[in-house]
Amino acid sequence: MLDALLSFYDSYQSTVAYVGINALLALSVYTSLSCGQLALASSGFAAIGAYASALLTLRAGWPFPLVLGVAVLLPAVLALPLGLPVLRLKGVFLAIATIAFGEVIRIGLINWAYVKGAEGLVAIPQKTSVWMIYLLLAAALFVLGRLRGSKWGFALEAIREDEPAAQTMGIPTGQYKLSMLVLGAALAGLAGALEAHFTFMVAPNGFTFRRVVDMLVFAVVGGAQLYWGPVAGAAFLTILPELLRDLAPRVGIEPGPLRLLVNGLLLLLVILFLPSGLVSLPRQVRRFRAARSPE
Amino acid sequence: MGQQIINGLFLGSIYALFALGYTLVFGVLDILNLAHAAVFMLASFFALALSTQLHLPIAGALPLTMVLAGLLGLLLERVAFRPLRGRADSNIAGLISSLAMATVFEAIALEVWGPNIRRFPEGTLPAATVSFRIEIPLVGGSVSLLQLAVISVAMVLVLGLTFLVRRSRLGREVRAVAESPRAAQVLGVNVDRTIAASFFISSALGGAAGILYGLSYNAISPDMGGSVELKGLAVIIVGGMGSMPGAVVAGFALGLIEVFVVAHLGASFRDAVSFAALFLVVVLRPRGLFGAASMREA
Amino acid sequence: MRPAARALPILASVALSLCGRALAAETTVRIGACLSLTGAAAVYGAQQKAGILAAVDEVNRSGTLPGVRLEAIIEDDASTKEQGIAVFQRLIGRDRVSAIIGPTLSNTATAADPLAQAARVPVVAVSNTAPQGITDIGDYIWRVSLTEGQVIPGALKRAQAKLGFRTATVLYGNDDAFTQAGYNVMKGTLDSMGVKILATQTFAKPDRDYNAQLTALIGQKPDILVVSALVENAAGIVAQARQLGWRGPILGGNGFNSSALIKNAGPAAEDVLVGTSWNRVSPDPANQAFLKLMASRGFEPDQFCAQAYTGLLVIAEAMKLTGKTGRDDVKAGLARVTGLLTPLGRFSFLPSRDGEHEPALQQVKDGKFQIAQ
Repeated sequence: MLDALLSFYDSYQSTVAYVGINALLALSVYTSLSCGQLALASSGFAAIGAYASALLTLRAGWPFPLVLGVAVLLPAVLALPLGLPVLRLKGVFLAIATIAFGEVIRIGLINWAYVKGAEGLVAIPQKTSVWMIYLLLAAALFVLGRLRGSKWGFALEAIREDEPAAQTMGIPTGQYKLSMLVLGAALAGLAGALEAHFTFMVAPNGFTFRRVVDMLVFAVVGGAQLYWGPVAGAAFLTILPELLRDLAPRVGIEPGPLRLLVNGLLLLLVILFLPSGLVSLPRQVRRFRAARSPE
Repeated sequence: MGQQIINGLFLGSIYALFALGYTLVFGVLDILNLAHAAVFMLASFFALALSTQLHLPIAGALPLTMVLAGLLGLLLERVAFRPLRGRADSNIAGLISSLAMATVFEAIALEVWGPNIRRFPEGTLPAATVSFRIEIPLVGGSVSLLQLAVISVAMVLVLGLTFLVRRSRLGREVRAVAESPRAAQVLGVNVDRTIAASFFISSALGGAAGILYGLSYNAISPDMGGSVELKGLAVIIVGGMGSMPGAVVAGFALGLIEVFVVAHLGASFRDAVSFAALFLVVVLRPRGLFGAASMREA
Repeated sequence: MRPAARALPILASVALSLCGRALAAETTVRIGACLSLTGAAAVYGAQQKAGILAAVDEVNRSGTLPGVRLEAIIEDDASTKEQGIAVFQRLIGRDRVSAIIGPTLSNTATAADPLAQAARVPVVAVSNTAPQGITDIGDYIWRVSLTEGQVIPGALKRAQAKLGFRTATVLYGNDDAFTQAGYNVMKGTLDSMGVKILATQTFAKPDRDYNAQLTALIGQKPDILVVSALVENAAGIVAQARQLGWRGPILGGNGFNSSALIKNAGPAAEDVLVGTSWNRVSPDPANQAFLKLMASRGFEPDQFCAQAYTGLLVIAEAMKLTGKTGRDDVKAGLARVTGLLTPLGRFSFLPSRDGEHEPALQQVKDGKFQIAQ
């Protein structure tokens, strides 16, 4: 019995690890969404964290905790010069500017011979373990949870609901938005480093526009109103393909298209009918029931 | 050198056509339709299917496929955009729902046609269109009949759209709605229908770009939208969101710049140019080259 | 019915099933294959799958391994490293395979092979041709496919003997470990041959328009155009080069080695030169038998098919040499494989665990790959 469980764990270890990594990435997009900013720079910051950590491990032999520290701090620091010009942009323009940032980073890496360009760095020792990912994820959730009830959290919500009004009320919106971008960058960098030391390699094509779109989907489908929504979204959408893989033959659709179709439909349904994400489902059901009960 | 100019114009004509549809929807609805590239891709497959299954000659398949693409646009509008109208977060929500539709479209293409690259069967176009080249004096360099045809079709569509928007009643209604939906409604314009028509036209143009792209490079696959989706974004930003002349000028400019960057700096930098330009324009001059001075709340 | 009469049929069926089990006293040994059945390398993966299945049937049929029935577990890595890792994990943990063939792409191998090394599961690469980063992962990683470093120099030298070129321009894909490695070998070889490289251009796998790069390269008026690309790009490159008016020779790396090149580039593929690991017209009995077998299965094989077929043969040989089918037994057996008759020729492993056999140069003539004269 234990044998079967261990064998199951072995084969699905990758999925379990990726749930954690994707949760961190989803949170990195969520931090900006929580104050109403659609900042899609996370793939770029994840790349910075991943590459910096890989180089420190491979070329400088630094101990892993120190490497992770750099993976958190470096993107955070770089988020400052990025945030200052772009955070004054509204909505779609902010999204576009941050997408462009991510692409510039990716193309820069493809052209940088020191990191072997498009081939990327290989044979990175596997230093990430699953408990490590979840410990760090728990820490991140703790931080975000504390933020929520605090003055900080209320300010963010005010900015999300109505930015001009919040500004009029004297809230320094620029500072708050920047701090969320920085926090998001730190989370993305951390996730990037953890992934690099789990999959043995980093390459520029792991940090495309599609990747940050995936992160956005995790956050939105899970629910971008609460800090644990993105985690639920990441878990759901990471495990789903594995389940669908076995289901696909029975439905008569290939697993690849089926996964995409389900992702797309889920996202559509959520954005149209359940904008607060899947985690708000129990609340909505209760509301629905309450509205229908004959009182 | 002249050859590179021709290469650039050829590439640019497809970018311009694609961007035109993109910017039309943004101009009217203030929404970025990220499913435009998926329509581009599906149209290419439709054309392939029409020519291989129904054996339609390509001249007939092109207009028919454009209509099909237009219908896809109507579907998009109805399913992904109309329900969001009036919502406070409609721009971001619209972005996300169009992304969802793009994913669904890609899934359908993957399931129906598989992930591998498809090609038009030999004989779809007479061999002469590809092998016969016309020397262009003065400029230096040559262009194949196919390339000439692509550039011409693209120009015809661009001019056609310009005429439509400037002169026709539909065009006036579109411009009215773009200016202010409420005012247009008061003036008796059927806003719903006008928006639907804009989507139809936009997707028909995007589809045309897809067909021309598919014919030019004879490589059609479900992921072919990826190569134009971000470039198209760069073009409409630099040209000015909502500006049609902007989309056309920026489209051709991008095609030319890309070709010269590849030839002299190396292909790896090609995309860097569009994104660097995109970033700079968004940060320094968000309205782009020809965009309206007052950027409405995005 | 009387009790004894009721017992009889039951006893009979039990006896029969025991007999049946005694007759079918074979063990099933699983061999995993991680192939790109979708994605950029799908064309190669399909060929590899056919080769492996054919080899499994052949080994089972011919009784090479008495008492053992081989079973191939083939999974798709979608040409990505993430899926490659997941597939390896399933093959190792859930399916408990004795060995793994693949992955198709060198890119995926650098990510997935280390897992097998750590889990002490032998991997036989049948299409990874990047010289570094594969067998140097560890002593459980073996390779049947010749590296670009083993094929390209021979191909270029043979081409030069035939065509006598002094200048060249090079086009390669810089976003893939394999095409990048191929380029490095091409550059090194051309330099060592004293051939002047007039210009170099790059492209990426998703690109479809190569006009800008080709115009720049052709404008230099080289004696030969050398290209390192996967087949989907190769077809477009060759077609567009001819469209732009390039009439000179084109020489490609291992990615060109697929009938898909001829199918998709059409008449433009004519006269293209490609180095190959597999001499398809070799009169060797092992090769002829392979060709006949694939023909009887209604399948047109290419180099990738032949290499995958050979990879399975090599694993079967390893099991035969040690008489056992466990993971470490296969590893020990692989070290003892020498002079094995395969469609690729007489096959042995080098001390570096890379494969060794004679490569050849091909040219596309009349819409088919022929050995270059």
